[in-house]
Order: sequence, then C-alpha cells, then structure tokens
Amino acid sequence: MAAGGGGSCDPLAPAGVPCAFSPDGQAYFALASNDGHLRVWEAANNRLHQEYVPSAHLSGTCTCLAWAPARLQAKESHQRKKRKSEVIGTSDQVDLLALGTAVGSILLYSTVKGELHSKLISGGHENRVNCIQWHQDNDCIYSCSDDKYIVEWSTQTCKVKCKWKGDNSSVSSLCISPDGKMLLSAGRTIKLWVLETKEVYRHFTGHSTPISSLRFITIRPNESQPFDGITGLYFLSGAVHDRLLNVWQVRSENKEKSAVMSFTVTDEPVYIDLTLSENKEEPVKLAVVCRDGQVHLFEHILNGHCKKPLTSNCTIQIATPGKGKKSTPKPIPILAAGFCLDKTSLLLVYGNWFQPTIERVALNSKDTHICLERDISNCWAPTVETAITKVRTPVMSSEAKVLVPGIPGHHAPIKPPPLLQPKEVESKRKLGGNEASIEERLGAMDLDRKGRKDDLLQTTSFPVLLTQGLESNDFEMLNKVLQTRNINLIKKTVLRMPLHAVIPLLQELTKRLQGHPNSAVLMVQWLKCVLTIHASYLSTLPDLVHQLGTLYQLMESRVKTFQKLSHLHGKLILLITQVTASEKTKKVLSPGQKAKLVYEEESSEEESDDEIAEKDSDDNWDEDEEEKDSEKDEGVDEDNEDEDTDDKEENGEDRDVSSEKELNGDSDLDPENESEEE
Amino acid sequence: MAGYKPVSIQTYPVLGEKITQDTLYWNNYKTPVQIKEFGAVSKVDFSPQPPYNYAVTASSRIHIYGRYSQEPIKTFSRFKDTAYCATFRQDGQLLVAGSEDGVVQLFDISGRAPLRQFEGHTKAVHTVDFTADKYHVVSGADDYTVKLWDIPNSKEILTFKDHSDYVRCGCASKLNPDLFVTGSYDHTVKMFDARTNKNVLCVEHGQPVESVLLFPSGGLLVSSGGRYVKVWDMLKGGQLLVSLKNHHKTVTCLCLSSSGQRLLSGSLDRKVKVYSTTSYKVVHSFDYATSILSLALSHEDETIVVGMTNGILSVKHRKSEAKKESLSRKRRPAYRTFIKGKIYTKQRDDIMINRPAKKHLEWYDRDLKSFRISKALDRVLEPNCVIKTPEVTVSIIKELNRRGVLANALAGRDEKEITRVLNFLIRNLSQPRFAPVLINAAEIVIDIYLPVIGQSPVVDKKFIVLQGLVEKEIDYQRELLETLGMMDMLFATIRNDSTSLSEHVPAELPEKKTESPCQPGDTDKNS
Repeated sequence: MAAGGGGSCDPLAPAGVPCAFSPDGQAYFALASNDGHLRVWEAANNRLHQEYVPSAHLSGTCTCLAWAPARLQAKESHQRKKRKSEVIGTSDQVDLLALGTAVGSILLYSTVKGELHSKLISGGHENRVNCIQWHQDNDCIYSCSDDKYIVEWSTQTCKVKCKWKGDNSSVSSLCISPDGKMLLSAGRTIKLWVLETKEVYRHFTGHSTPISSLRFITIRPNESQPFDGITGLYFLSGAVHDRLLNVWQVRSENKEKSAVMSFTVTDEPVYIDLTLSENKEEPVKLAVVCRDGQVHLFEHILNGHCKKPLTSNCTIQIATPGKGKKSTPKPIPILAAGFCLDKTSLLLVYGNWFQPTIERVALNSKDTHICLERDISNCWAPTVETAITKVRTPVMSSEAKVLVPGIPGHHAPIKPPPLLQPKEVESKRKLGGNEASIEERLGAMDLDRKGRKDDLLQTTSFPVLLTQGLESNDFEMLNKVLQTRNINLIKKTVLRMPLHAVIPLLQELTKRLQGHPNSAVLMVQWLKCVLTIHASYLSTLPDLVHQLGTLYQLMESRVKTFQKLSHLHGKLILLITQVTASEKTKKVLSPGQKAKLVYEEESSEEESDDEIAEKDSDDNWDEDEEEKDSEKDEGVDEDNEDEDTDDKEENGEDRDVSSEKELNGDSDLDPENESEEE
Repeated sequence: MAGYKPVSIQTYPVLGEKITQDTLYWNNYKTPVQIKEFGAVSKVDFSPQPPYNYAVTASSRIHIYGRYSQEPIKTFSRFKDTAYCATFRQDGQLLVAGSEDGVVQLFDISGRAPLRQFEGHTKAVHTVDFTADKYHVVSGADDYTVKLWDIPNSKEILTFKDHSDYVRCGCASKLNPDLFVTGSYDHTVKMFDARTNKNVLCVEHGQPVESVLLFPSGGLLVSSGGRYVKVWDMLKGGQLLVSLKNHHKTVTCLCLSSSGQRLLSGSLDRKVKVYSTTSYKVVHSFDYATSILSLALSHEDETIVVGMTNGILSVKHRKSEAKKESLSRKRRPAYRTFIKGKIYTKQRDDIMINRPAKKHLEWYDRDLKSFRISKALDRVLEPNCVIKTPEVTVSIIKELNRRGVLANALAGRDEKEITRVLNFLIRNLSQPRFAPVLINAAEIVIDIYLPVIGQSPVVDKKFIVLQGLVEKEIDYQRELLETLGMMDMLFATIRNDSTSLSEHVPAELPEKKTESPCQPGDTDKNS
C-alpha cells in the first residue's frame, strides 16, 4: 500500500511494486509483481511460501495490497499500524490479504487456505484501486480509487457499507487514525474524515503530485493535554515524483494547513516503514525505500515546526561485489524495508521482484552510509525478465540522435535525455486519453537544443542539408555545405544528392562563381564534381544548353583576362623577388610580421567580396566602413614611418603644391598645373 | 563650356538578388521586438477591429497584447491544461479558445471568467472559429469530430464525424454563415455545410494538414501540411490550382496579407515565405531564429507577429512613413522665389524660350575638364567613392587610359597615395567587370614604381598581397578553363545526340551553341 501509487506506472522500475510484510512478526512478505503473480515469501528463510495468480491477472493487475490485522498479536504491538496488528473478532481473518486491482475489484486472498477467499466487486470502484486499509477494530476495509470515491466494505458480507466522493480528482491514498475513528484520504488535498459521519474534519495542503503514502507517526500527542483521539497527532505523507516527505500535525484549530516539517530523500519514496514512539524521549524511527533502491533511515523526536528539511541519519545501499578487475560493482535495488519488533534491526528485501532476497540487518552502526555487499548472481534469473529487459529503452550516448516518429517531414533530431519525454508521449498515445500535440513535442525538442550555439543546423548529413538548402534557398545551410574544403566530402555529397537537385545546385553555383577567387575556387570544385559525376544525367537533359548557358558565358568572360593576368603575374613575381632580395640585404622586417599582415588583408577581402556577391549593395555598408577605418589606421602608421623614405620628399612637395591650389580655389583654371602634370 | 562631355560611367548589372517592390515593402519593418511566452506559441490572432489588439495562445494562457505594448494588457489564465487557438470574433468583442481537456471556452474581452463553456468533445480541441453570422462556433478536436455550437444557449447543434484522424485546423467562411472547412491529420481538407450533416467537399492534401485558409472571396482554399502549400479552387469542386514546395520542413501556418495579394507561410524550417497570389512565386522570405508555429498580420500589414516553438514571440512593426512627408513640407522661405516662373503654365500666345539647362558636373569631371588628372584620380580614390561606387573609379581610370595620361596621373605619388591605389587594385582586380582596366593600371603602376621598390615596407606589402591575389585568380581561371573543357564535352555529346553531326567540328560547336543561349542570360543580367 505504501507503493500503491507508483507501482504500475513504470513496469520496469527496480522498486515500487506493491508489497507488504505480514503483521504477525513479519513472518511473511507478500509481493504482487507486475506479471500478475502474487507471491508470499517466508521472511525467515527466504523461501517461496505461496504463489497465486488471480484469474484476471493480465487485465486487472494488482495495484495495492494489504494484510489483514493479526489476530493474536493483540495489544502489545500497537505500533504496527501498517500491519493492522490489532485484534479483530473473527478468528479466520488472520491471514487474509486484500488485493486491489487496476480494474476496480478487490480480492481477498487467504494465505492459510492458499486460495481466493472472496471478491469485493458489486457497487465498488469503477477504476483502478489506489489504496486499501483494514480497520483495526471491526471487519471493515476502506479503499480508494481513481474514480474519486472512497468505499467502506464489510468483509463479512462482502458488500459495500458506504461509498462517498472523496475528492474532485482521484483519491490516491488512505490511512486510518490510531484510534480508528478518523480516516485520512489524499487526493488533490489531504482530508481528514470523521468515519462515523463521513464529514471532513480537517484539510491539509498536500503535495503537488499524487500522494503515494500516508502514515500516522504518533499515537498520542506529546503535549500533556486532554487527548481527544486525534488532536496533536502527526502524520507523514510521501508523493509521486517528490523527494520530500512532509509531516503534518492535526491541530485543534483549523488554521494551520501547511506541513510542520519534512524529510528529504534522494528519490521518490516507494515504501515507508516506521516505529512509533511510546514515550516523549524516544525518537521516531523511519525507514524510507526510494525508487533508486536506497534506504534512508531517520530518527527524530517530533516536536513542532522545523523549517529546514531533515536529511537522513543513515543511508543503506546494497551492491554486488566487483568480480575481479573488469566488473564494477552494480547496485542492487532494495524493494522494501521493515523494522523488526526490537526496533534495532531491519528486514531488507532486495534483488529483483521475481525472486527477492530477504535479510535481517542489525542497526548498530553509527555510520551515515552503509553499503552492503551481496552476491545475487546465483539467484535464479527468470527468462521472463530478460525478455522484458529487451524492451527497455537503450542506453544511448549523449551524442546519439533520436528521430521522433510521427512528425512528417521533420528531420530534427533530439537528444536522448529528454527525461522520459518520448516515452511518456508514447504511453499517452497508447492510452489515447490525451496525446501530446505537435507543439508540445516540438517544445520538448526545443528545450534540449537550448544553449547550443549552432543549433540552427542539426543535420550533419551534407546531401540532406544541401537539398534542403536548395529547396528553401537557405543561405546559411548552403554556406555550410558549399564552403567545405574537403574534396572527398564534396565528391560524396554530389554522389548522394538527389538528381532533381542537380540543376538548382548548378544555378546556385553560377551565382557563387562570380565572387572572390578565394571562395570561388571551392565552387569550381563543386562544379567539376557535379559535371563529372552527373555527366550522363546532364547529357540526357534536352535543355542543357539553356540551363548552363549563363554559367558557360560567365566562365568564359572571366578567363578572357587569363593572358593579361599571367603577364601581370610575371611582372609582380619579378617585383617581389626584388623586394625580398633588397630585404635580405636590409633585414628590416622579419618575415613573420609580413605573413601576418598578408593574411589579415586577404580575409577581409574575402568577406567583403562575398557580401557584395550575395547581398544587396546597401547591406555591406558596415563592413566597408570598418575596412575604411582600418585603412585610415594604416595611413596613420604610414605617416609615422614616412620620414626615412627618399621619394617622399618630392611627392610631399607635389602634394603641398596641389593642396595650396586647392586652398586658392578650385573653380579657376590653372594652366601651370596642367603643364606640370603633362 | 558646352564642349566638355562628362565621362560616361559604365553601369554594370548589380549581382545578387533583385530588388523588387516586394522586397522593399517587406523589408520596411523595424527590428523585431521579442517577447518571451510561457511555452510554444501555438496561435496568434489579430482583432479585426481597432485598436487591433492581438491574442497570443501559449501553454495554458492567452495573452492579449496591444499593438505597441510589450506587456500583455489582458491575460486569460483559467485553463486547466494547454489552451489552443484563441480567436477573435469579427467584432473583436468575444474570444473563443479550445483546450487540451476538450472544453471550448468563450470569453468576453472585458471579462475574466468564461462566458460560455461548450463541453462535448472528449479530447483536445485544437481549432475553433466563429462563423460568419457571429452566433455560432465551429470546433475541431482530436476525437476526430467537428462540432457546431450555438452561442446564445451554449448548445451543440451539429456533429460531423467525417474525419478519420485528429482535426487540427479549421476556418469558417467569411461570407456564408453555414460554410466552414477543416483540415485533419487524415490528409484531407473537408468543407462542411451546416444545412446538411455531411461534408460537401473533400480534397486530398496528401499530408497531415496543419493549417487551412479560405480566401476572403471564399472561392480559393489554401491548405498546408508536410512541406507543401496547396491552393484549391472550391468553385470548380476542389480542383488543385497550385502546389508550392518552398520549405524543407513542415509548413505550420498560413496567413494572407491585408490586401489579399500576398500569401504568407511559416514553417518549422524557421522561414516565412511570401507568395504572390497571382503568380504563386516566392517574392520574399523572412528568417527567424527557431521553428515557426504561428503567424499573423495586422490590419494594413502594419505588424507581423510570429510565434515560435521556444516560446518567443517576435513582433515587427512597419516603419512609419511620416518622416518623408514632414521633410517635404519643410521648405525654405526662398523656395517660392526659386520656383517662380518655373511653374508658369504656358498661355495660348506665349512663346517659350528655354534657357539651356546648366549642366551639373561631378567633381572629378570638373577636374578632368581643367586637366587636373592627378587630382581627378585622387578624388575617385577617396574611400567613400571606392567603396560605394567602384565603377566610377574604374571609369575614370579607363578614361585616363583612353586619353593616354594614366601613367602621368599615377606617377609622382607618395607612399600613402600609392597604397591607396594598390588597395583599390587589390579590392577590385578579381572582379571580372573591372579586370581588363585594372590589370592595365596595375602594369603601369609596376612600371612606374619599379625603381623605387623596396624603399617602403608598406607599399612592398601591398605588392605582395597583390601578387598573392593574382596568383589565386590565375589558379582559379585555370580551374575554370578545365571546367570549360568538361562542359564543351558535354555540349558536344548533346549536339551529337540530337543532330548527329559529323565529328570534325566539335571544337567550334560549343561556342556557337553558347552564343545563342547566352542572349537570354545577358538580358537577364541587364534587367
């Protein structure tokens, strides 16, 4: 019942299946596994005592179970409220086990007879039973369900005694007060009902998520006031997906609705056991089994408010011994933990739910962290489980990309850690209740992409990028693809690109071929690849000449200057050799400096040229301004260096003359100037 | 004076995209204002009435923004789950919204709590709209049904179960109160008539339909889904007019410009494309940061609002055109004297004698006219001119060369001016349109300054850069020559295939062939 809430939402969770110790000294441990089997284990020698398969075990899996209160353990073990360890009248009820199912029926199973005792169906729940509680004193069972109702059953007649609406949403958990006159129910809020009149006595805020467990911690208040049976009592609540266990106090006035204190654990609590304090000085001991398979132990004297959440006094883990050097120890999940009668030792149930191991561990260590080493490899590993493990979502590396099915035409990958998001989506879809809309799915994907700078282009496949870019004329995409320098990559991309993209690619290349030689050289590589690889396709096109005419003419006009350029190049080479020769003699500048400057200039050239080629002429203003600035800077530098050059003197004079003329006025003709120039 | 002929500046076709009326119109928006919403913005809708507020649906809230406010002026947050498709009524008074829990809620703009709740859908309602008579609401839901509701008594009037998958989009006719269309993930768009209880028209889109749109005239229907936007003629019984495939991801939203002349589509590929509704060609394209889910245009295209998957709402306002008017109004007092006589209209017996108009000469022309060639060159080498209008500089160089004085103009310069010349050469030498002129100029520069080389490290550096550039260009042209060879082969095979000419003229064929097709290319460039 502690595990009732979270038990079936994740069938492969290591912990969280409905399970419970029998109240009479924990002789038995009942566990309803997800394959629909109810197994009762002998706690002392870890043997399977009984196994029972309900007839409807596949359609209505067991969602919660509760042992009937023990017969003989009369007054001395009040504290085992969980096991309902108070005497009830009917003697043959001792080993009854109540099972709630997902379809709303409640089964009573007798462990003595080893068969179904009775079924509580008629007039009961219409939806999944979330929690069952036996009343300590009379033969009543209280159950709550997703259908928002709480039902009071009589086990004698197997009939409904009373049924009332517990909440506006599903009621997830129940707990009966120690005196048996009040009932706690947890739906959207926690409500305290007077059982006699079925009226709400108190409201508590509760958790933001469905509450999976409710337990009274104290049986009498600490204050020495007249005790009316409920005022001053503390109770505990744990919720799904909530790492905090809240403690609430029932006050005499109805003002306080928030929790008085809270315990923090490492994961969602799936099983809770506690010892009740019998006097003021004795602390409450609490054992909380979390979904991550750890047990946290708390010891605390409840005494009013505490602002900070308490952390555990002791944490128990179980792991396999590392066999040799190659295998690292693996954690073994703990399924349940129960305090023994002496309150100093703990019964731990661990391993898989198919064949759990039950062990008694003494709690005398003062360590805050205990890790037990247990070898469960010799346990019989069921083939069923291995078959199921194959369904498990594969462990993916962080770089792996997952394509989400069902979004047509959308190839954006998402990363695996969207915290069960895809899985949730799928399960929702199967239920058909409320499926995630495309917006939600996109939103989920978008979350993962946040923070990455280059999130715009996720596909690394160049052919895909290229075709997409050509189709939507996306400048960034095309740039990313076309500016690669890897010849092999270019070849492969061209080889794999769809045929219908060839002509658009050629047109795009035509546009880009007109730029600066630095970038245009790459485009020629692309063009060559396209022409060589798709030659046969191109030659089948009837209007090929039309398609490639512009391209051909463009290239031809460009190569017209080839001869002249080569001529110029020759001159320049001669010039440069002179420069280097004179530099060698002078040793003025180190070659390193020179190379640096050359590089800078080139890069700026390239950028601006690309701009001109691709954008409107207005757009490249800014860049050009920068360039202008840099030029100016250079000019300043030159001024500083000017002094030592020879020809500077003459030119400087010339300039002076011209500037003077400018001052005189530029409108009138100046024959002197003309003659000077000629 | 009249004898001088100014230098003709050769104009070259501008490379890159053409500037059309549309680019001017659609670029005339201010930088976008970005507003962060709580979740993916699934719908944006403008109120059809002034002051043209707009409702934004994101996560479980509906925000109403004023036209220029960046804070919501109104919020409807009473949704238990995700809200969808908040839509204004034609009079802008009422707002209807669907929700994940299947309830359709009707709000008064001034109120807070829903006026009406229409319960009946069992699953999420993704689309709602008001019919033309204002008194009914159409809703489509994930339970495959389309329902028609009556607002006054909040009753369900009709249920259509024609779709076989989620109904995700819909639109009511603006003219006929009984007609509405819905698009579904079963790949169909269906038109329903409230007077019958079956669909009256069904078109197969071929992809899960994400958005539908009816033209104001009601005759044309636009549907989007997958990568396609399809236009259907309803009057011809659902004939496919055009299928547009300009996005590379799913098209999520459609919108018409206020004039009805342009269709806008937003897509998950982060782009909004603008189509002309006459030619159905893309006339403009906007880029956004993330995938687009919703899109809306305000009255007169004053504002473009785009909602994206990351919850960002991008709002662009049109630049105001008031500035120009105010400028033209500000006339100096002398204006009237200036314009006197010019606006004189000719009477019957008057004889007009035109004074020869004074020619306006550019500075470089004045210099050239007075033979200050060096100065003219200096003028066009000013950074402003070099960057903005390099063709002017090149034309002057050409003119100087024609006059045979280029060497003189280039000679006798100091280091700084030489650097300027060289910078210009480096910048523009690789441009094919300038190359012939500039190569010539470069040779002259080299010839002139050969003796003084090595004396200024700055100039030397420039020469080295120039040399690197020329080397690259030569390599590039060599590559191009190789490619030309390949293309010759290709063209030759074609000619051989088609006309089976003999093989003894393959070398000339490609040239001949290319001459003719080049003409259309040329005209393209010039236009």
